[in-house]
Amino acid sequence: MREAEVIVIGAGMVGAAAAYGLARRGLRPLVVDGGDLDYRAARGNGGLVWVQGKGLDMAPYQWLTRRSSDLWPELAAQLVQIAGDIQYQRRGGVTLCLGEEELASREGTLMRLHNRPGGSERDFEMLDRAGLEKLMPGVPFGPDVAGASYCWRDGHVDPLRLLLALQRGIKELGGTLLSDQPVRAITREQGIFKVRTDKGMHGAAKILIAAGNGSGALARQVGLDVPVRPQRGQMLITERFAPILPLPAGGIRQTGEGTFQIGATQEEVGYDLATSVDAAATMARRTVQALPFLGRAKLVRHWSALRVMTPDGHPIYAQSESHPGAFVALCHSGITLAAAHSEMLADAVAAGGFPDEISPFHHRRFDVQKAA
Amino acid sequence: MSGTSDLAIIGAGPAGLAAAVRARSLGLAVTLLDEQPAPGGQIWRAIEARMAAVSDLRHGDDAAGLALVRAFRASGATYLPGRQVWQVEPGFSVYASTGGKSEKLQARAILLATGAQERPVPFPGWTLPGVMTVGAAQILLKTSGQVPDTPVLIAGTGPLILLYACQLLDAGGQIAGILDTAPRENRAAALRYAPRALANYRDLVRGLGWLRRIRAAGIPVVRNVRRLAANGTDALESVRYETASGAQKTISAQLLLVHEGVIPSIHMPLAFGCAYRWQEDQRCFAPIVDEWGESSVAALSIAGDGAGIGGAAAASLKGEIAAVGAAQKLGKIDSATVAATAAPLRARLRRALATRPLLDALYRPRQEVLTPDDDTIVCRCEEVSAGQIRAAASVGIVGPNQIKAFTRSGMGPCQGRQCGHAVSAILGETSGATMDAIGFYRLRSPLKPVTLGELAALDTPEIDILA
Repeated sequence: MREAEVIVIGAGMVGAAAAYGLARRGLRPLVVDGGDLDYRAARGNGGLVWVQGKGLDMAPYQWLTRRSSDLWPELAAQLVQIAGDIQYQRRGGVTLCLGEEELASREGTLMRLHNRPGGSERDFEMLDRAGLEKLMPGVPFGPDVAGASYCWRDGHVDPLRLLLALQRGIKELGGTLLSDQPVRAITREQGIFKVRTDKGMHGAAKILIAAGNGSGALARQVGLDVPVRPQRGQMLITERFAPILPLPAGGIRQTGEGTFQIGATQEEVGYDLATSVDAAATMARRTVQALPFLGRAKLVRHWSALRVMTPDGHPIYAQSESHPGAFVALCHSGITLAAAHSEMLADAVAAGGFPDEISPFHHRRFDVQKAA
Repeated sequence: MSGTSDLAIIGAGPAGLAAAVRARSLGLAVTLLDEQPAPGGQIWRAIEARMAAVSDLRHGDDAAGLALVRAFRASGATYLPGRQVWQVEPGFSVYASTGGKSEKLQARAILLATGAQERPVPFPGWTLPGVMTVGAAQILLKTSGQVPDTPVLIAGTGPLILLYACQLLDAGGQIAGILDTAPRENRAAALRYAPRALANYRDLVRGLGWLRRIRAAGIPVVRNVRRLAANGTDALESVRYETASGAQKTISAQLLLVHEGVIPSIHMPLAFGCAYRWQEDQRCFAPIVDEWGESSVAALSIAGDGAGIGGAAAASLKGEIAAVGAAQKLGKIDSATVAATAAPLRARLRRALATRPLLDALYRPRQEVLTPDDDTIVCRCEEVSAGQIRAAASVGIVGPNQIKAFTRSGMGPCQGRQCGHAVSAILGETSGATMDAIGFYRLRSPLKPVTLGELAALDTPEIDILA
């Protein structure tokens, strides 16, 4: 049996970021990860560090997202030291609007978010077609592009390089990463959590469950009943092009390799990782409308991944009342929130409790909603 | 494209053509899609045009091929040449691209007859201009009569090398030599399969004829060659190898053709979710099929070399058997017809496969072909070396899908057709796990290049997306 101060269950984007933060705090986490064919959202996502439009139904989520975006440059600088370039850029991002109606509707949404009671600084602006062309000169937008919303806090990163850098960081800072060890059961004996995998038993005083869609079944074993479901997202990636799109445009971004990454669907299909031509065609139509030259782009890959979804779409962070020392963290915005997770989530696990700013993310909020 | 076929066949090689002819005779509405402009597959590529131009029937089974192609032309099957199938969805919907446009076909049953690919042969320098495969050279010879103007050096193992060497000699080409990479122990291991192979003595006689022809031409053959490497700055200049005694040899060469046998083309069945397993006798992954060729996906069958290497004659018979199976599945024939039709086909199939264990043992590739040295590039598209795969594996990444995510190996346009086999084999070597436990990359559509414009033009319902 391995002993550690803290065991992190899951080496995906949430678990790896938190474990990296714990390792930086000298806690030498033991990270246990699943198998090669597990549902890995961390391996299938789009790489956006995205702020604009988030938090309309939940003010603390807007705050958390902005906070993470602001912490990101420091995280990126650390990771570059460890693993080299992760292709992180924070030069702002746009959401392209096709037609005047979409542009007006987008402005309405962002203004509602901005004008909410307790509203805060404005980090976005609406651009008409001329404004968009000024922001990104020379980009051959299609005639239907009426404008865009722009947010300076937005950015993007290569999500696979990010994940590898976090995992490397964990190991370099004294943590341990065990692959291919799906957790079968969690028990507690004399204040020590026992985590059983196919290959052995591990023990720690604290555990952080960050197992994505597998978190529900594990968290129940330590008295945490977290509602979580898979939501399928399909994505496309094209062949490479010379750099032409300087900023990520929401569902369309040009990667550091030169490929265009296009996404993503939102489908309630359970644990079904199939891809569909209908989805590819829908995304292709919107892409070609926005950037007609991409009509000749060859599709190189098309995949699907399962988002880790909660009833309101916002993260869950909680510590068990019946099993103190057992934490759970799950969300579908693992890239955007990676910096928050490596700082605030790691701090909370290290300190043994969440600060007030994080308490609204407890899953008891769903009980309140049900009662109301 | 309108209407629903009973059976959509993908591939117009021996298995697909024979299946189409048989399925038509059993009353099925058949649509056959193929990439080539004319029927025949790889083995009988452009056979109608070639047979019109020349009357050379000495090598291969060209007469049988021409007869089958003619029967297919007369069968009443809908033939769609020049189609690249890039997706099949359950139900079944087949999406194919032709001339920059994609179309969708419906079918009640599917037969994949997509054949084999040459086993990727990664070795130092294999990406240099001047290094190509024997199969690719043979295609050039068959389709455009291209004969290399310099003597070619051939390295590897497998019957195709012998056949190609004879075809090249007949076409006036020159062969500098053959570096035979089959391990010495193959011969002893193969001996015990010789008696069984006699059941198909005609194949044996033909093979011995190829060997005689090569000997008579005075072509130097070096046996038990190891550690092949191609050297050159911008193009191939020389080839280095190690002999049985351990001596290092270097010979100058401008054209090196390599070949280590053929393996099932597994991308389509894997992308459609068919179960597969490792076949140690042929050292490759192959989809799992039942006695009718049906895969783990109901009504989706696989026939021919795509379900395990057996050669053209066996492929034709497997295609016919799969057609009978599909007719039975679709309720087109009664059980008496099934039994009466299938029994003689199965007897002929046994005979056609009689030489296979002998050939598999005789031409079994050495381990270094599967798990090359560290400095060898395995993923040509993304330029990932075997050493990088081993390095990633050594930090605890044990599955091909995570290797892909972290090294980019397999992310390029070839979709892992070149590197996937080496990646799985290297993981097997480093982790000690079985090939079945490791498996292959998770494969996805598009199986062939398709543009966003083509996708956008499809008439499909809109799906909810997060823009």
